[in-house]
This record gives sequence, structure tokens and C-alpha cells, in this order.
Amino acid sequence: MLSRQPAMEPTVGFLTVIEKDGAGWLGGYLVLNQRARPVEFHCTAPIKPNRAQEILYGPTLRPFVYGEQIGTTLIQKAKSKPQLIFTDTAPAMSARDLIKTPIGLVGLPTAKQPSEPGDINTSHRLDGAHSTTLSEPHWVYVQLGENEITLQPQHADDQALIVRHWTEMELQLDLSEPFERVHQALAEAYQDA
Amino acid sequence: MLPKPPSSIAPSTSLGSADLITPVQLYSSGWDQAIRRLPKLSTNSTTHLHATPDCVSVSFQPTRLKTHGFVFTPSAAGASVATPRSAATAARAGGPPSSPQGRSTRTRIKPPSDVIKLQDRLFYMLQPPLESILNSESLSFPCQPFPYQYEGIAFLYPRFAAILADEMGLGKTMQAITAVRLLLRAGEVRSVLLVCPKPLVTNWQREFALWAPEVPLDVISGQQHRRRWQWLETQVPVKVTNYELLVRDRELLENSSLHFDLMVLDEAQRIKNRSSTTSQVVRGIGRSRSWALTGTPIENSVEDLVGIFEFLSPGSLSAEMEPRRMAKKVGDYIIRRTKDKVLDDLPPKLFRDANVDLTPAQQTTYKMAEQQGVIELSELREGITIQHVFELVLRLKQICNFDPKTGESCKLERLAADLDEVAASGKKAIVFSQWVKTLQRLDQSLAHLRPLQYHGKVAMGRRDSVLREFKEDATRHVLLMSYGAGSVGLNLQFCEYVFLFDRWWNPAVEDQAINRAHRIGSAGPVTITRFLAIGTIEERIDEVLQHKRAIFDAVLSHAETGKSLGLTQHEIFGLFNLQQPPPSGSNAA
Repeated sequence: MLSRQPAMEPTVGFLTVIEKDGAGWLGGYLVLNQRARPVEFHCTAPIKPNRAQEILYGPTLRPFVYGEQIGTTLIQKAKSKPQLIFTDTAPAMSARDLIKTPIGLVGLPTAKQPSEPGDINTSHRLDGAHSTTLSEPHWVYVQLGENEITLQPQHADDQALIVRHWTEMELQLDLSEPFERVHQALAEAYQDA
Repeated sequence: MLPKPPSSIAPSTSLGSADLITPVQLYSSGWDQAIRRLPKLSTNSTTHLHATPDCVSVSFQPTRLKTHGFVFTPSAAGASVATPRSAATAARAGGPPSSPQGRSTRTRIKPPSDVIKLQDRLFYMLQPPLESILNSESLSFPCQPFPYQYEGIAFLYPRFAAILADEMGLGKTMQAITAVRLLLRAGEVRSVLLVCPKPLVTNWQREFALWAPEVPLDVISGQQHRRRWQWLETQVPVKVTNYELLVRDRELLENSSLHFDLMVLDEAQRIKNRSSTTSQVVRGIGRSRSWALTGTPIENSVEDLVGIFEFLSPGSLSAEMEPRRMAKKVGDYIIRRTKDKVLDDLPPKLFRDANVDLTPAQQTTYKMAEQQGVIELSELREGITIQHVFELVLRLKQICNFDPKTGESCKLERLAADLDEVAASGKKAIVFSQWVKTLQRLDQSLAHLRPLQYHGKVAMGRRDSVLREFKEDATRHVLLMSYGAGSVGLNLQFCEYVFLFDRWWNPAVEDQAINRAHRIGSAGPVTITRFLAIGTIEERIDEVLQHKRAIFDAVLSHAETGKSLGLTQHEIFGLFNLQQPPPSGSNAA
């Protein structure tokens, strides 16, 4: 049933991070082939940001942990190198700054989803003090089949790339569905751990 | 402009001085010198303990995360990448919608509880929904399966031991075939043996042709040397045989090293008796997966379920188990759905009790037979056995059908009237009896309706054509059928009327008979007429069976229950107020 030999074929990655009350933050990464069959699955052990990190990273904490720490680690652990990666949580998109594969957010960023580092506006006052606020980013949107995908503005070039791969792979996926699998698998793995 | 003051009133000015200096006199005192003296200064030096201010450093080096990884084999993951078919193809195939709008139905394949390893459990959990798998595999269906059927397929697929115990008419055959089809496609099984009652072999052939037309099938039949060749042949993935043939080929099966990846038993209640030859032969066949299909996993008593489990998971169940514990134990192996729970749109079953009075001739014969029979039984004293009582019951029931001397029948009069009405309205009806002789008599008495017969005396080779004629010939309105031959596996949903000319011992068997007509595809309500001769043994049996009918469902819904569902020896003796002889036992009828 299981093997250490992944299939070398076009694949798509699905990255998510969940926050378990009292346990910490868990990352899950599922790689599917064109027929939506699982090729690889990787998950992290729960991690908990400490109080100092919460204070000092402020609103950038989640993009840092979700994307740069969890996301990048999981993507690099996988043997398959997908053409596209999707996530269902906006902070995980920051992993795109560290890897070359396009990362799209499935759906629209919601108010609940913390934004990412690029969205921070810093304004300076005359007395020398400064304040940091979060503003509405200039997201880039793309339609893949029935799926609405959001891209980071600093990686606007991904738009053409993501459409090209989607078309070449002739994918007909409902991109929200694989995340149900990842969430169930994380629940199972966490229960098992 | 302000008015000038009048010059005549200007005041005169005068000047004077006054000395304001206050004389001060200084008195000398002892303080004068002290005031002039400079203060004495002294200094104290302190040293700073810390040369620099306190500083706390927080390091934000990337944390090394612990990860777990699982890689799935190309075959299991579907490496043979087929070009995904277009949405139009999906629509033509009648499969579930491939677009995200189809997200309303997502049936997940869940790992059974006996799959322990995390990676194995994840393998199942990470598979796409069943609807997507069927879609991507380009598996066409003659019609869209019901959601509960998807659940049944998803239940069977990952299991090495399973009972699909859906009520008759919910499509157990289709669910089993589709699960087999998927396993064959995935390469998880390569050899399948399907065993069913002999009359149902052709039914399975038809169903395979309908639901899995691409799967090669071999029906084991013919002379022994031909069967031997068929058994040993390995190219055809699915072999179909019947229980009777399996027993005949026992020696061959025992002496060969035959092994099947999957063995499916249809009407698995056939192996409920663990000591029967059929059960022993079935259990002796090598296999990796064992599935049982039955609408009545508990036909008479929980012993039946224990018998089936000896095939599925030997030793895991015993008849001595407390029912609640047994229910918990079997929970993960059994899936059972009833029509009232899953089919909202299935037409209703309308029960109609035809309580009839025996004709005078029947009445006379019946009384005489009963009195004489009870006397005979009483005279047997301790030599009385269950067979003696049975014989009397059967004799009395036959009199309730037809008077042996005159041929009169109160039931026939009513039945004939009803069937005339059925035929006049262009509908079709099935009449069930437990005796072939009764059916033959009915055939003569209802000759004007040209009824068809389907029972043990009808040659196997002719049975399919009988059913076909009944279905296709608009002038054929009545099918006379025995419980034994027609209670399982047949699809007669085009019938709207069922008549139970006499009653079977077991409510489960009656249900099976009724469900030949009341199943998926039923055009309208199915009316079931149950004949019952008032003041006879039939009435007494009916009272007992009404209680039993309630118990049948209770066992499968994990409720506390008694063991036996059929008539126990005690109950059979009780029909005539007879005392059960000393040797104990509770064989069910």
C-alpha cells in the first residue's frame, strides 16, 4: 500500500495549517496527481509560538509560522515537486517568498484571516513616532474552472503561470475538496500522536 | 470727539515732602561670627554596579520542525494517468457532477476500525470522494446510484470482512458489483469468487452486464471436467457459482490450492448453520477478503449471525455472547439500511389482512383433523417430537388452503375475485404459497387468467423465460410462486399486488417475498394481501409471529432481545396446548 517511490508525474500540492486549542499549530501538505489521488502526505508535529514571539512578531506572526516555517518545511520535505500549490489559509501564502512554485489561496481572503507581511503599511508621525497598521492588500484574482483563486500582489506573474499549468494538466478539481481530506488526516494523525 | 472740560474749574497744584527712611539698629549677638563663617563641605563617592543597562535578547532562529511523511504507491494512487474526461463525458456517463457544484455529495471511504497503522488509515482517508473516483475512472452506470448506495460501496471497498445487510430491494447486488469493480480497477483484487443460490446465477450475470459490463465473468457449470478447468483457470477475474455446485466440487476445492482475493456470498444466510456441509465447504476456500450479502443476517436466531461470522472472522462471535456486547462487536462489520429510512420516495406498502371463514366443508374436515391429531399427539406421551407436531400443523394449514375432499377453498374465492380485478386493471400480481401442490391447484382454478408458475418443479432452464414472459407479456397478470424459489434475489418491481395465500413460519421470509415487488423501481404502492383463516392454526401462528417481527429489527438495532426469532419448540407445542417433553432445546422453525 505504501512505498517510498513517489510517482514522477504532474502533481498539485495542498497546504494548510490548523490551530488546535491547547495543542498548538499543525501543518498538513497533500500532494495529488491529476486524478486527485494521493501521492504524498506530510504533516508537522504541533508547535506553539511563545509569548515573546507573539509580542514581537505582532501581526506578522502567522505569516511567519504558517508560511515561512511550516509551509516551507512541508513543501521541501515532499519528494514530489508540484506544478501548483494551493492553500486555504492566507498567512501560509508567505511561503511563496521562499519557494519558486506558485501558491494560490482557494477562495477570497476573509477578515478573519490575518494578512501577510507585504500588506503592512508603516506611517511616520512628525514627532518621530510611527504606527503600524494593516490595510486591505491589492490581491490578484484568477478563475480556475469554478474555483476563485487569490494571488499575492508581489507575485503577480504567477497569474499566467498558474493558468498555464492548470490548463496543461487539464484539471477538473474542486479545489476546496482536498482540504477536507487534509483536515481529516490531520485530525486522525493528531489523535494518533 | 470728547468735549473739553470747562477752563474755569482747573485745580491749583501744591508740592510737599515726607521722610520715609526707617532707622535700623543692629544688636550684636553670639551668632554674628557663626554667620560670617563659610559652611564646611564634605563629599561621598559611590560607584555604579552596572556599566551598561539591562538587556534581554530573544533569538528568532527558525525552529526545526518535526514532520511525518507518507508516500503512496503509484498503483494505489492511480499512476496510470488517464486524460481526464470532459464534463460532457461525465454527464453522458450519468456520473455525479464533476464540477465543484457537485460538492453536495461527497462519500468518503473510511478506514475500518481493524486498520490500525496510521499510514494505512491515512491511505483511505486521503482518497478522493467515491463520486470523484467513479467519475475519474470513467465508470458508467445505467442510472444514478442513490446516496446510500455510495455509502454501501464506500463501506465494502476497504473491508476484508463485511456484511451488507440492507433490506431487500435496496440494491445490494449493485453495491457489491461496483465495489468489486473498483477493487479490480485499483488492482487490489485480481480474483473474485461469487457464490449465490442456484436460481440467482443468471440474475448475477445480468446485473454484472448492467453495472460492470467490462468485467469478464465465468459461470462455473457443466460436467465435472469442465468445472475443474474453470476452477483452475486464472484469466477471468470473476467466477460465479452456486452453493449446490460448491458442495459437489468439495473434493476438488479441498485438494487444490485455490485462493481468491475476494469471496462474496449472496444470500449468506445459507451458511447460518455452522455444521452444515455448505458452511464447511464455503469456509474451507482460501481467500483474503470475505463479504456476505443478506437481507436477513438473523433469520431465526442470533446463531445465524454467529454462523455467518464463522465465514467472515472465525471465532470472533459466539452464541453465548450477551446481545449488547454482540451488537458492539459486529458493529463495524455490518451495514444495514431499511427502505423507510433511505428511500423517501419509495411507494408505500399497503397491508391488507384477508381474514376469511372456512367453508362448511373445510370447517368439518379441519375440526376432525385437529381433534384426531391432538389425540394422536397426546397418545404419544413422552415419545412426542417436534416433527409430530409439525406434521399436524402442516396438515391443518393445507386444509385452510383447500379442503382435500371437496377441493373447496374460502381463500380461493376471495383470491379469484381480487385477481380478476387486478387483471382487469392491467396490473400484475404474485401469489405466494409454501406448497407447490397448492400453486398447481391454483393454476387449475385460475386457468381463465392464464397464470404462470415459478417454483421448485419448474425446470431451472425455464425459470428465466417464465419471469421474462411475466414481465413482457401484457396478457400475463398472475405469477404463482413458492416462497422457496421466489423469495430471494428476483426483481419483480413491476408488480403492484402480492398475495400471501398461506403464511410462512418466519416473518423475515415473508418480507423477502414481499420485497420482490416492493423495491427500487416500484411504479406505485404495493398492496400485500395476507390470507388468514379465522379460528384456525393460522390465526394462532400469526399471533406468535407478530411478536417475532418486532424482535427482528430490534436485534439489528442493538436492542436487548431474546435469541430465537422463529417459532421455538415450546411455542410450536403451545399451538395445541401440548406439554413439551423433557429433553430441552430451542430449535427454531
